[in-house]
Amino acid sequence: MEKLTVDALRTQAKAQGLELSDAELAALLPLVEAGRNGLAAIRDIPPETEPASQFRIF
Amino acid sequence: MSELCWTSMTELRRMIATKKVSPVEVVRAHLDRIAALDGKLKSYITVLADAALAAARAAEAAVTSGGTLGPLHGVPVGLKDLYCTKGVRTTGGSKILADWVPEEDATVVARLVGAGAIVLGKLNMHEFAYGPEGLNPHYGTPWNPWDAKTHRVCGGSSSGSGASVAAGICPGALGSDTGGSIRIPASLCGLSGIKPTYGRVSRAGVLPLAWSMDHVGPMCRSAADCALMLAPMAGYDPRDPTTSVLPVADYAAALTGQLKGLRVGILRSFFLEGAGPAQRAAVEAAAKALAGQGASMEDVDLKSINLAPAASHAVLAPEAYAYHEAWLKTRASEYGADVRERLRVGAFVTGAEYVKGQRLRTLLKNEVDAALAKLDVLLAPTTPIEATAVGQDEVRIGDQSLPVRASLIRFTRPFNLTGHPAASVPCGFTAEGLPMGLQIIGRPFDEATVLRVADAYQRLTDWHTRRPAATA
Repeated sequence: MEKLTVDALRTQAKAQGLELSDAELAALLPLVEAGRNGLAAIRDIPPETEPASQFRIF
Repeated sequence: MSELCWTSMTELRRMIATKKVSPVEVVRAHLDRIAALDGKLKSYITVLADAALAAARAAEAAVTSGGTLGPLHGVPVGLKDLYCTKGVRTTGGSKILADWVPEEDATVVARLVGAGAIVLGKLNMHEFAYGPEGLNPHYGTPWNPWDAKTHRVCGGSSSGSGASVAAGICPGALGSDTGGSIRIPASLCGLSGIKPTYGRVSRAGVLPLAWSMDHVGPMCRSAADCALMLAPMAGYDPRDPTTSVLPVADYAAALTGQLKGLRVGILRSFFLEGAGPAQRAAVEAAAKALAGQGASMEDVDLKSINLAPAASHAVLAPEAYAYHEAWLKTRASEYGADVRERLRVGAFVTGAEYVKGQRLRTLLKNEVDAALAKLDVLLAPTTPIEATAVGQDEVRIGDQSLPVRASLIRFTRPFNLTGHPAASVPCGFTAEGLPMGLQIIGRPFDEATVLRVADAYQRLTDWHTRRPAATA
C-alpha cells in the first residue's frame, strides 16, 4: 500500500469539502494511517461472509 | 443526607405505592442532594427542578386517589443529554446543540414517563458520545465520586449518568452505548448497567453516534433495578425500524437467584489475559462465586477477536462522520478538540473499508453465537483498568504502557459490533478503593438470563451496596 502523506490527505480532504490546516492534517495522519493499516492487514475473510448491514423492504 | 437517596428504585416504588413515602419527598431529597453535591460532580447539564416537583405532586395525587400506578410510579430518573425531550434543551454534551429544544420525546423517554418515572434532569456526557473517558470541555468533566481528592474520569460516554447514580443524586439513569458507553462508566463508577441486544430498545429520538452500533439502556445501583427500568423501555417501536417484534421477557420474574446448571464461558485470551492483575483476580473470584452456586465453567476463546478494533474503526468512524459532516464544514471550531479530530478521521475511511468492517462484524457475531450455542453466558472484565486521572493518556497493564482510551473500550466494543446483550456489575475494588466491573454477555434477546446472572451474583456479594465515602 502506498504510504500516506499530508499532501495526499489534503487532496482527499479537499475533495470532500474539508479545508484543514497543515497542523490539523499532520495530527490526523497517524490516526488515518493506523486505521487504514489495521484494515489492510486483514486478508483472510472467508469469501462467503456477507456484510452485517441488511436491506429489508418489509 | 436523606437515606431515600440510597434507596433502590424497586424499594422506592414499593414505598410510594404503599404510601410510606411521598414522591414529592423523594424528588425533594434528590434535588437537595443535587444542589449540595453537583457543583463539584458536574453530572447534570440541566436540572428540571420545577417540572420534577410538579410531576411528583401529580404522582402523589394519583396514589392518594387510588389510581393505577405504573411500574416506576414516582421514581426519579436522569437522562443522558442525548435523549430528545419535548420542550427541554437536548445538548448532546455539545456547544453546537447548546440551545436546541426538541419538539418531541425520544420513545424511551415517553415510555419511562408513561411508566410513572419522574425526570430529574439531563445528564452530562462526552461530547456527542464520542469518547470513553466521559470528558466534556463545554459543561465540565464529571468527577468520579469514588475519589474525592483526585479528579478521575467516570468513564464514558455516559459519564454524568455514572457520576449521578454512584453519588446518590439519581437512583437510575439512561445511558447509551456505542463502544461501551453504558458498561464503561458502570465499571468505573461501581454501578450495574446493561446494553440490551441491538433492536431490543428503540433508538428513536436519541442523537446518534453510529446508527448500526448505538444501543440504549439503563444504569442503576443493582441488576434488579436495571430489570425494573428496562422492562417498560423494551419492545418494538414503529419509529425505529431496527427494533424487533420479538416479545419482551418478564425481567423481574427472571430474577430467581438460581445458578444451578448455568453454563458459563470465561473469555480468557484477549479479555482476561489482557486485563490488569486486580481486574483479572476480581473476575476469577466472581466466576468462582458463580461456580459455588452450581454453575459450570469453561474457558472460551474467540478466534477473530483481534479484528474487533479494526472492524469498529471501519464502521463507527464513517457513520459518525456522516452524521456530523455538515457541522464539521461550517462549525468545526465549536467542537472540543478531541472529538473534532476523532470525527474528521471518518472522512478518510473508504466505502470498501466500511463494507470490510461490516463483513468482519459477521465473522465476530458468528463466533459469539457459536460460543453461546453451548453456553448460557460469557464472562469477561468490563474494562482492563480502573478509573484514571483526568488528563492521563497512558496506563500500565503488566509491563506494557497503553493508551487509556483504547484500553477502556477494548473489552466492550466487540459486543457493539455483534449486538449481543452485555451487562456490567461491580465485582470488587482496587487497593486504591476504585471499582471494577464484571461483564456478562448473553444470547441475542436473552437479557433475562444476563440479568438473572447479574442479580444472582449480587445476592452473593455486597460490592454493589457500597457507597463512595465522600458522598455517603
